[in-house]
Amino acid sequence: MQISFENVSYVYGKGTPFEKAAISDVSFSIPSGSFVGVIGQTGSGKSTLIQHVNGLLKPSAGTIRVGEIAITPETKKVHSLRSKVGLVFQYPEHQLFEETVIQDVMYGPLNFDLPKDLAYQRAKEALEIVGLPFEEIKDRSPFHLSGGQMRRVAIAGVLAMQPKVLVLDEPTAGLDPAGRKAILNGIYQIHKAEQLTTLLVTHSMEEVARYADQLLVLANGRVAMQGTPEEVFSKKEELRELALDVPETVSFVHRLNERLPKDQQLSPTLYKEEDLTAYLLTLLQQKKGEGR
Amino acid sequence: MSILQNFTLGQFVPSDSFVHRLDPRSKFLFLLVYAVVVFLSNQIWLYAVFTAILIFSLRLSKLSLAYIFRGLKPVWFLLVFTIILQLFLTKGGEVYVQWGWFSIEEDGVRQAFFIAMRLGLIVVMSSLLTLTTSPMDLTDGIEKMLGPFKKIGLPVHELALMLSIAIRFIPTLLEETDKIMKAQMSRGANFESGGMISRAKAMIAIVIPLFVSAFRRAEDLALAMEARGYRGDVGRTKLRQLAFSYRDGLVIVFMILMVVAVGVWRV
Ligand SMILES: Nc1ncnc2c1ncn2[C@@H]1O[C@H](COP(=O)(O)OP(=O)(O)OP(=O)(O)O)[C@@H](O)[C@H]1O
Ligand SMILES: [Mg+2]
Repeated sequence: MQISFENVSYVYGKGTPFEKAAISDVSFSIPSGSFVGVIGQTGSGKSTLIQHVNGLLKPSAGTIRVGEIAITPETKKVHSLRSKVGLVFQYPEHQLFEETVIQDVMYGPLNFDLPKDLAYQRAKEALEIVGLPFEEIKDRSPFHLSGGQMRRVAIAGVLAMQPKVLVLDEPTAGLDPAGRKAILNGIYQIHKAEQLTTLLVTHSMEEVARYADQLLVLANGRVAMQGTPEEVFSKKEELRELALDVPETVSFVHRLNERLPKDQQLSPTLYKEEDLTAYLLTLLQQKKGEGR
Repeated sequence: MSILQNFTLGQFVPSDSFVHRLDPRSKFLFLLVYAVVVFLSNQIWLYAVFTAILIFSLRLSKLSLAYIFRGLKPVWFLLVFTIILQLFLTKGGEVYVQWGWFSIEEDGVRQAFFIAMRLGLIVVMSSLLTLTTSPMDLTDGIEKMLGPFKKIGLPVHELALMLSIAIRFIPTLLEETDKIMKAQMSRGANFESGGMISRAKAMIAIVIPLFVSAFRRAEDLALAMEARGYRGDVGRTKLRQLAFSYRDGLVIVFMILMVVAVGVWRV
């Protein structure tokens, strides 16, 4: 589903001494099916922004469009939107509450009036996507799992609703590298398979380089940059000023290009680790072939 | 905090007005004396004076009136309820209105007026105390004032600590509640409509995660305090010392004048 923000602002605690404008006059548009990385310094308004996508926060001003549905400051009913937009909060494991894992994952589908057997089926699929052994884990208490497992159960709880739009707020914060990769790979597969529109909030440039095809850079509650990873990563100095960095791969290519002659420069499209290593390998093998 | 943002009742607003800079002990004492004299007064014109004192104090605090009164929303209901009770149930004096066994009489009107004034003045004055005093100062003040009771075995320090932890964690818990509510709403939970049973069931999805996190927080806090060498009251010093200034002197003098005036004029 296409998502667009039109001059959206949000103010916390309006009319109190604690009033705080979290996002101001934000406009952008995301085509259906894209994987968008949302980046920005701490406090730049990322979490506030994404809570507008499923109507948890209503804008103080402006309009949000998700597919056919529009949200304005006057909008009241948003229940139908919630079944289409799945939102995974920062530290989602804190929302677990049922007696068993399977019941917790079925909570969402059942809330949207799915029959029990279908909800069960979806819960099973969702748990498999996040890489948990279904038979082993389904009847355990979610409170007796490890932190990483709890996180996966919570994410499965959102995936089981089979949303068309998936919004994830730092889903890998505080996990080990292998766990991060496993979770994001699962999400990426479902994103491709179901042609979801996905928004991923993260502080890791490596993660956005690997998965995103669009980047949205926030600073002080405003959109500072939007574009493909290649476009955004080429503005290294501007990113620096926003206290952000380019991925390791990009600075590697940059430094390598400084030493290489003009005709052998590496392309800036090589910001994904796999692409870069594959390219360098073939390059080295060619060199070796010539050497012989 | 979007859903719970109306719970501003008495939340501290940092600033440096005259009232903010008073010692918490003098504010406490003033509030106590004010409450007592307001309750004991039975002259309408005295209430005009008390209202003037209240307005003057509010001005001195430089807080926005709209904000103060918005925070009092939960109290309005109580106030209106007591006024209605007094109005209809207190009998005596001249009868103003009569419908069958239903009547409004002179004493009822009088009582309703006094109760409304008393409750209103005291509630606003107490919220002025919490709005202008940081929780830290508030509990330090209480601990100091209750100090003498240590001799008879009252665990003053522990009580003050419990109070300050409780106050400290109210906003945290509200924030946490807000976050959990949002997370469950994202999963289709509906807290606004539906029958009793479905609403009660929806509440479970908030209450359990909230308890789990409260216990985790409590454990973390206990551990962090012990790790930093907390051993209770004995030998503990304070980073910030409370001290009286000329402002507190002014307040005390004013307070004495108020008591004397009410003592003389109360008939
Ligand atoms: N519940 C709230 N009440 C008041 N202000 C808030 C609230 N939540 C966020 N803010 C403020 O809004 C601004 C944006 O916060 P937000 O949580 O959207 O940032 P973020 O980009 O998600 O940061 P992080 O990377 O740390 O998660 C911050 O200045 C923050 O202090
Ligand atoms: Mg955030």
